[in-house]
Amino acid sequence: MNFLYFDPGLGAMIVQAVVAAAAGVLLFSKNAWYKVKAFFGLLKEEDDTYDSIDIDDKEDTETNLDEHKK
Amino acid sequence: MSTKNNTATTLAGVHEASFRDPSGYMFYDGDTLRRVINPIYFPQYNKLKESGFFKTLIKQGLLIPHTETSVADDKIVITPEPIPFITNPYEWSFQQYKHAALHTLRLQKYALSNGFILKDASAYNVTFHKGKPVFIDTLSFDFYEEGTPWRAYKQFITHFFGPLVLAKYHGTDIFKMLQTHIDGIPVKLISSMLPGKTKLSATIHTNIHLLAKMESKHSEDYKAETKVARLSKKQQSNILESLFNFIKKLELNESTEWGNYYDKTNYEAAAFEGKKKLIREWVTPLTPQRLIDVGGNDGTFARTVLDTVPDVLVTDIDSNAVDYNYTQVQENKETNMLPFVCDVLQPAPGIGFNNTERNSLIERLKEYNPDITMALALIHHITLSGNVPFVKSAEFFAKFSGTLIIEFPKREDSWVESLLVRKREFMNHFDFYNETNFETGYNQFFTIEKKETVPGTKRVLYLLKRK
Repeated sequence: MNFLYFDPGLGAMIVQAVVAAAAGVLLFSKNAWYKVKAFFGLLKEEDDTYDSIDIDDKEDTETNLDEHKK
Repeated sequence: MSTKNNTATTLAGVHEASFRDPSGYMFYDGDTLRRVINPIYFPQYNKLKESGFFKTLIKQGLLIPHTETSVADDKIVITPEPIPFITNPYEWSFQQYKHAALHTLRLQKYALSNGFILKDASAYNVTFHKGKPVFIDTLSFDFYEEGTPWRAYKQFITHFFGPLVLAKYHGTDIFKMLQTHIDGIPVKLISSMLPGKTKLSATIHTNIHLLAKMESKHSEDYKAETKVARLSKKQQSNILESLFNFIKKLELNESTEWGNYYDKTNYEAAAFEGKKKLIREWVTPLTPQRLIDVGGNDGTFARTVLDTVPDVLVTDIDSNAVDYNYTQVQENKETNMLPFVCDVLQPAPGIGFNNTERNSLIERLKEYNPDITMALALIHHITLSGNVPFVKSAEFFAKFSGTLIIEFPKREDSWVESLLVRKREFMNHFDFYNETNFETGYNQFFTIEKKETVPGTKRVLYLLKRK
């Protein structure tokens, strides 16, 4: 059950489908570009505390599965 | 913890910042801040606990650690790790704000992959502790319902994404707007303040301009009749990732690289080192547990005693200096230094319902109760730029400082000279600016324990004790 103790905004709920579509295109092209750069060896090592959105969690089975796929 | 702050609590001891969420509330048990969880939130809490979700987040330093104090049918009480000083979004530098935003997105992404969501994305749920942002609202997680959009999405835009994008174009003063808009800057206002070219950015266009349009369009749906669109987990995760990538790369347009103020000081390197030595000599024997350096710039002088003081705050009016300080905190992995933005002439007020949801700076400093307050190279700015009489600034410091180390630059100091010259025809209105009047003013609230000229300068360092 969700407690709607504040109004999430109807427009904001509806708009997310469009936002997600745009985000999907952006991420797809970003990944494609990443692969092109990787192919030509143009990748730079980035060093930032907030480099990745994913939390480095060793017990996380999802990441382990991804590892197996590789 | 220091003494309980009465203004932040009601008679029952309930903390004034936590009344909105029906899941539970914070209260003072003596001096200890605890959290009550209401039965309505038991299913979530138990699942978060049993699945190891809390454990992972706490282990990773992403969520404030807590211990379970008592469990009963009508309430569960948990005790979170105390945080000595809470900074609010309008007191953060650009990098701090950015990191708080990225932190929130990370949590939501992780929550989503574990079948939970962040039910709110308020910037007040994040604060800085031990050198890093940390999420402090343990009850903000809820179950994820398959196919539902993120309920806190708009809140994330008004609290984080909007202010950050606005800061890019208008500077970090924008963050102060959070003082007048406790639930974030309205989307329509964000949209109207952004330059037209931002419509060309797919991320800004959809997340702000389109959102503003949709919000206006659906604002009259009083009966909640319109069907809410469905959104797959993958789609939602795309939104989060795309916002994350965008914010990560966000920089200020007028990125005035921290110009290193100390290159522009009016005294020699030897005098600079002399001042550092003097401060260390005065501070160390007092073995302070908490210290605040007001107008402390990038933390250079506070760092001279950082190894001996368990908790140090450094404030400055210059967001760039605070940013530079924060970068150093991160690089050096310092856990006892907290930089934040503060204008002494206009300290953060108490805001929100009853003016008590977020405490004023002075209330928080009283509660923090520093053993030593340092105010170096600050009094001439307060007095000459701010036109604040000595006795008034003494009153300000006396509100929260038992011991005050204050530097007084004499009239002959070149910075003072320059400030005086800028007064032009009103220059003689500031004839009172001298050592004797300074001492008379401060004597109303403090007694002088030590007084020494910083070698090689026209500045005097005082050690004062509150009367």
